[in-house]
Amino acid sequence: MMGSQISITKFQLLMVLIQTQIGIGLLSLPNVVQESARGDGWISILFAGVVIQFLLIIYLKLLKKFPNDMLTDITKKLLGKHLGTIVNTTIYFYFIFTGSTLTILMIKILNEQLLPLTPGWVVSFLIIASCVYLTVSNLRVIARFFVLATFWILVLICITVLSIWLPKEIQFILPVGSAGGKNILLGSNNALLAMLGFEALLFLFPFVIGNTKGMLKTVSYANLFVTSFYTFITFLCLVTFSPEQLHQIREPVLFLFRGLTYRMVDRLDLIFLSIWIIPMTTSIIMYLFLASKCLAGKKKSYKNAVIINGIILFCLSFIPNTDKITDTLTQYVSFLSYTIVIFLPCLLLLLSRLVKKRRSGGFV
Amino acid sequence: MKKWHLLLYILMSLMLAGCWDQHHLVNKTFVNGIGYDLTEEGNVKVTVRTVNIKGKGGGQFDVEDILLFAEQEMQIGLGTEIDSMVAGEVDFSQAHIILIGDEMAKTGINQLLEFYYRGKDANIAKKVAITKGTAESVISTEIEKSPIAFFILQAIEGGENASYLPDESISSIWTKLLTQGRDLLLPYMEQVTPEKIRIAGVALMDGDKFSGKTLTIEQSSLLLLMMDELKKTSQMYLVLDEAKDESIRISTKQVKRKLDIEVDEKNGNVMASINLKLKIGIDSYPHNLNKNINQNELSQKISRELTKQAKEITNILQEANCDPFGIGLRVSTTYPETWEKLNWDKDFKNVTIKPNVEVEIIKTGSIY
Repeated sequence: MMGSQISITKFQLLMVLIQTQIGIGLLSLPNVVQESARGDGWISILFAGVVIQFLLIIYLKLLKKFPNDMLTDITKKLLGKHLGTIVNTTIYFYFIFTGSTLTILMIKILNEQLLPLTPGWVVSFLIIASCVYLTVSNLRVIARFFVLATFWILVLICITVLSIWLPKEIQFILPVGSAGGKNILLGSNNALLAMLGFEALLFLFPFVIGNTKGMLKTVSYANLFVTSFYTFITFLCLVTFSPEQLHQIREPVLFLFRGLTYRMVDRLDLIFLSIWIIPMTTSIIMYLFLASKCLAGKKKSYKNAVIINGIILFCLSFIPNTDKITDTLTQYVSFLSYTIVIFLPCLLLLLSRLVKKRRSGGFV
Repeated sequence: MKKWHLLLYILMSLMLAGCWDQHHLVNKTFVNGIGYDLTEEGNVKVTVRTVNIKGKGGGQFDVEDILLFAEQEMQIGLGTEIDSMVAGEVDFSQAHIILIGDEMAKTGINQLLEFYYRGKDANIAKKVAITKGTAESVISTEIEKSPIAFFILQAIEGGENASYLPDESISSIWTKLLTQGRDLLLPYMEQVTPEKIRIAGVALMDGDKFSGKTLTIEQSSLLLLMMDELKKTSQMYLVLDEAKDESIRISTKQVKRKLDIEVDEKNGNVMASINLKLKIGIDSYPHNLNKNINQNELSQKISRELTKQAKEITNILQEANCDPFGIGLRVSTTYPETWEKLNWDKDFKNVTIKPNVEVEIIKTGSIY
């Protein structure tokens, strides 16, 4: 079924997952998790990582039963044609919606921090045009670009290390566990939203070379990397800013770099943000790809689907990015994500077991 | 098809972001130093030193140093008023130093600095200092017409490296202002003569308000060691015996500080002991030059003197209600129940602080 033209290696899958997960969510993550988990926000992220690991295991169990199918094919096989189509439409809306929310948030932050005088539509046009340009080529090209772009994530990690020299106060996170289990869980809930993107696995699985074994290792590495990177940065923010201050800052990660100054360079936050455009864009590219795969299925209309989705994204990016609207949007995304990312795969796995039992029972 | 592509590229290059967000250096007036004062009528007065860059053509620029004033009831409109006085747009992002007059600082500094936290262009790595008298008097001092802000900045950075000024920028000040149970120290500047300004020591802050109490440079050197904040160098001179005219200049090479806090959970008494172990070198000891130094005896003498001074410092800190060690923060995290019952604003004065300094001489320079 799958031609060699559009297959990717496991290493490329690793990079694709990392690039999809890392994105705009990180910038405000420390603020979001400490809202409920206070000084224990870093535990929340670790816990979210554990939850994602469980989800990934569930995904793989489901996908191994259908090694040549994407999620949209599996739903049709398990739920029947009509119900399957309805579910697939929901999945499609989820991807388009998440993609456009990411675009809106990205334009908002670029307009606020980097390009205050540039009209928002110009920024969104430039971003979406380059996204469409990359996405119309096949998955392998996307994967190669993502591998290349990972270099920039390494640069960002190097910049992050500089902020270790800012004054730190370990007392801000003490005593460990003081927020209580319930609040830490609530924090994980928010952290999970920033770490979304691993659901791409549900669509990428059939394209991976040798997807019968060793997949768990690959996806676990991706999860491990993202979780530790996020935990590290959140930890830095938690010990650098006092709880009351962190409560007030919208993008604490940028503030981390704002306080740094050197003889040659100042305002490292602007440099960080300029580079951070790449991980932010790669997330949008992946959602555009997923939405188009959803729309086109295995048919050849993939290229048209990308262009149509690109136009939809561009139109949706005209939604004004006031604080109130972006808050509502992220809330809707979180509701949808719970349905698509957690509930649906679990349900499908359960169904696939039942179907198998009934079939084997039928044979007996 | 190819022509269609070309058209697309031309269209896209028209949209390059630089067309919108370009800023010309010559259209800007850079503020490099800001001073805030409270006038007698209760208004806020701002004094700014700006650098106006004028193109002379041929890539040459003329730099002009201008002093501007604005006065309003609230500080919020001051930026606009300054903007209306200069050619082009005013740019606060290069302001290196913010001076706050002592009267203004006594009413609180957090509100004044809010603009720098929120603003996109504000550089939060800049320095803040409290001035004796008005900030205007300090910032309008002419030092050979060089931008005074750079002079002040260099003086403060020198003080930080010599470990008698705390290393604070707006970002760390903001953190400390919003931390319960930990207070701030800020550099204290004064104008000595109309042409000269100097760092007089550190100003002790009580929350975001200036307590009115200050420490001299000698005292703040020891205080920063007690806070375990040794930067590049730290020098102190001590008078060991006035009658014998015995004095010494030492430099601290290594600091080991132990801050122990004991809380009596019944009555809420807090006891803090600060044990300081210093490894020092002797820079100058013009006494008994015909003999070698008796290191044991001398180090005991220095230890006694420093412990005495440390006690004086903690007394002043408690009078000023300024807790730079973060004793309150430690209590709040290790004894949360007791912390709930305490009213730190009042109870810090009742904390028993026991400083103890021990020195060990590890270097005596070129002579014994």
